Amino acid sequence: MKPQIRSAALLLALSLGLAPAARAADDVVTVGACQPITGRFAFAGIAINAGLQDYLNLANEKQLVKGKKFNYVYEDSGYDVEKAVACFKQIMAKHSPVIMYGESTGLGKAIAPELNSRYKVLYASASFSSELADPKTHPYSFISGPTYSDMFGILLEYIARNKGAAKPKVAFFYSDTEFGKDPIPYAKKRAAELGIDVVAEIVTKAGAVDVTSEVLQLKKQNPDYVIFQGYILSPIIEVIRATKDFGLKTRFMGTFWSMDKGIIEKLGQDADGYMGVMPYAYFYEDAPGIAAMRAYNQKVRPDVKYQPNSYIQGWFTGMVYVEAVRRVVAAGKPVTGENLAAVLDTIKDWDTGGVTGKVTFVSHKAGVGRIYKANAAKGVFEPASDWIYSK
Amino acid sequence: MLIGNYKETYASDEALFRTPATRAWMGAAAVAAILFPFVAGDYVLYLANLMAVLALSAVGLNILVGFTGQISLGHAAFMGVGAYATAILASRFGLPFWISIPAGGALATGAGMIVGAPSLRIKGLYLAIATLSAQVIFEWVFTNWTSVTGGIRGLNVAPASIAGFRLDTDERIYFLVLGVTVVHFLLASNLRRSRWGRAFVAVRDRDVAAEIVGVNLFRTKILAFMVSSYYAGIAGGLWVYFTKVVTPETFPLSLSIQFLAIVIVGGLGSIKGTVYGTVFMTLVPEVLKAGTGLARVVWPAAQSYLFPLRDVVFGLLIVVFLIFEPHGLAEVWNRVKRFFSLWPFEK
Amino acid sequence: MSEGLVHLLQLLVSGVVTGGIYALVAMGFVVVYKATRVINFATGEFMMLGAFFAWTAMGAVQAPFVVALLAAVAASALLGMATERLVLRPLLGQRTISVIMVTIGLAAIFKGLAQIAWSGDYRSYPSIFPRAPIELGPILLPSRQFYPFLIAVAAIALVGLGFRFTRTGVAMRATADDQMAAFGMGIDIRRIFSLSWSLAAMTAAVAGIVVGIIGGISPQLGAIGLRTFPVVILGGLDSIGGALVGGVIIGVLENLAGGYVDPLLDGASLKEVVPFVVLVLTLMVRPYGLFGTREVERL
Repeated sequence: MKPQIRSAALLLALSLGLAPAARAADDVVTVGACQPITGRFAFAGIAINAGLQDYLNLANEKQLVKGKKFNYVYEDSGYDVEKAVACFKQIMAKHSPVIMYGESTGLGKAIAPELNSRYKVLYASASFSSELADPKTHPYSFISGPTYSDMFGILLEYIARNKGAAKPKVAFFYSDTEFGKDPIPYAKKRAAELGIDVVAEIVTKAGAVDVTSEVLQLKKQNPDYVIFQGYILSPIIEVIRATKDFGLKTRFMGTFWSMDKGIIEKLGQDADGYMGVMPYAYFYEDAPGIAAMRAYNQKVRPDVKYQPNSYIQGWFTGMVYVEAVRRVVAAGKPVTGENLAAVLDTIKDWDTGGVTGKVTFVSHKAGVGRIYKANAAKGVFEPASDWIYSK
Repeated sequence: MLIGNYKETYASDEALFRTPATRAWMGAAAVAAILFPFVAGDYVLYLANLMAVLALSAVGLNILVGFTGQISLGHAAFMGVGAYATAILASRFGLPFWISIPAGGALATGAGMIVGAPSLRIKGLYLAIATLSAQVIFEWVFTNWTSVTGGIRGLNVAPASIAGFRLDTDERIYFLVLGVTVVHFLLASNLRRSRWGRAFVAVRDRDVAAEIVGVNLFRTKILAFMVSSYYAGIAGGLWVYFTKVVTPETFPLSLSIQFLAIVIVGGLGSIKGTVYGTVFMTLVPEVLKAGTGLARVVWPAAQSYLFPLRDVVFGLLIVVFLIFEPHGLAEVWNRVKRFFSLWPFEK
Repeated sequence: MSEGLVHLLQLLVSGVVTGGIYALVAMGFVVVYKATRVINFATGEFMMLGAFFAWTAMGAVQAPFVVALLAAVAASALLGMATERLVLRPLLGQRTISVIMVTIGLAAIFKGLAQIAWSGDYRSYPSIFPRAPIELGPILLPSRQFYPFLIAVAAIALVGLGFRFTRTGVAMRATADDQMAAFGMGIDIRRIFSLSWSLAAMTAAVAGIVVGIIGGISPQLGAIGLRTFPVVILGGLDSIGGALVGGVIIGVLENLAGGYVDPLLDGASLKEVVPFVVLVLTLMVRPYGLFGTREVERL
């Protein structure tokens, strides 16, 4: 058989096998997810997946939405936009979910045209990039937290509030990835508004081996604060250590992904004074919502004593999904992507039991976070401010 | 068994489809290809589009590596040049696809000319490393020339449209992709039997002898680079309208390596080998995915091993093919064909 | 000393230190190429596996650093030998592209297996070296860079001296020079090939451990292998001394670019692309590098 025929026949057989499944039963709400279980972001993907899945299971157990059960299906997308798009399309074709979760901004952007015109499902992702927080261009997307720009805004406000006599000097230290560059234009603007001097913008490749020339730049400019963006662990640790070696009194700040407890352990004594913005409370804190999280974890995986920030991100996203469904059902409307997206704007001052501040969705984002400071002796982050709402 | 197949003119001997049987099968394939999108599911259609674009680009690489024997580790970068050119013309200047895609191809050809220039002085391994540097440098430009390329954010592109008819679903873009791809495959097959094609092969086999016979080495090599990057550029342009977004992370070194793998597994120097190679390398991960999906029933953790397993299988395929079947799938197919055409005789 | 001069000296010294580490990585390529004329694109992955071997030794068996290092080196030597026997030997004499691709395939296999065995998480070694930085007058060197630099220099010296003064080293150089003549002199070429791959794997293991100390260990560690090509080409594909000189030059150039040019660029960094520009220039002007042997094509 000619190869083209053979290929065509094979594809034909596959397509018949993969034909879209019949519409799911009415009392089941399907949530699909493309998670980065492997690849560069695996540590986050596994945790987000666990958090999201746990909360949906909890919602089923406690019957949080009367008459509806949540069905969670996920696939690995390896933090690769091409694989993620394939994953998204496959899940949509096979399970017809009404809610989807994506692994990255890249996926969100790639899938946006079809999401808006064809798929029309409620969509959230692991990234806090401001690009997707625009209801006009991305009506079905929301961010389960503040954007990176918001986080920068919160940090800059903290700096402005706690300045001494002189104009505060800040350096931005970020990676040359989407993740790193996303909030910088807004941050520069905001710094100017707040009267903060951005003395240096240092860019490196994520996970750079040698940061000497960058640290020397810091030495030259001697900023009061350095804000990291776009890194998780490396080279933050090296930079902080080297800067201390040079005797600089700079204080360091980070945003969500560099605020996990692990960084305190890695830095040891050098962690003292490190602070940053976290949109959620930590797993070890005292709040009813967090206690419920710990109780559930104790039940399903008793030998895991700590869950990182990304787990809480997944959990909170699950909370938003469930709350949106609950409101749509309470209003007597069918559970569709459009209705779910529309109901987001009605969420005001929603009490999450301390998982985060009282949530009001503005422009499809839950823009609230808190400043935390590292306590090297205790090895934890402690709250250093109240819940701050971004504008 | 094939009998009664004789030719009376040079032209008919050099024809692309030589026997009535071949022509009949090609016709049937064409019909199947046209009917395909109406029966296939969403995801399969997406895969088909993906494979067509990848195959188009891979054919370009095959012209450079298989026909002309030059090693290129930077093929994805040329695709990126074409993609970005198309995206910029489409999104910033509003040009329609039938201008922006060829323009992308043209710009990629220019890039190929520049990257191929060192082939005047260096060959083999060193040329391979030069192309590797080109890949790295181009990626850097894509990321950092923000004013033109949109930097790390990349560019979003509106779907292609013909007089208001928008090609915004996989079904619709399929016909554009299919048409462009088939035409370029025929062109490539035609190239092989032309004067330039013979020059390419001569340079690959014995470049000193070729030079003695009168083949201008430098011009031939540059032409090979240009044609190869033209194909990559067109494929990049199609890619842009297919995925509607382009970022610097879309065309990394690993994509260049994937193309090389496709070309080698398919068979160096064989156009239909490239098609087999693309289909094979795209479907093997799908089979793996189905496998781990089934395994998940008894072994929940199987899911997390899919991507590393894909890497291992990818590497194994390359190693195994190189050791046991260096001429690739095309050779396997040829053996099968020979068997049937000689049957019931054996050799 | 003026501040400008101190700045320059600091950049230079750090550049030399980084360069030494690059040189160690580059040596993995050089050792294989010297004996077998093959560029091993999987050098980075050999490094990664060596780093993981050492990490496992320190974690699972609580071995002290030196023991773990030696264990990783031994394991890598076996891995190198196995690789040569199973994968490279069947391809002896095949064209360059086949051999390049087979090493690329090998790299993918190793990376996938590492991810399966150790998962994609970032690991780090326990604290091995004293925390305090080294002070050379006004110049400061973080301890995490200085001690690995010492290890790198020691390894390079060992290998370099070995090549020069031991019988096996001379045999390897003979094979690299002229295989036929070496064979005629009674040198077992196949054993030499096997040894070369083992040696390359061993140096890669040490390089991997060094890089792991500085930046952590993960299946992605191998990516630094390809970033070292500029060093290898600049120094000359078959010169160990060249790798050292090339490494230092590239390290210093990177730091100078980072120290003087990058502050002028808002939001871009020239540091990563400078080595590859140097690579292209080297290929155009002097393809065999500073110390490589000029290849004469025999018809």
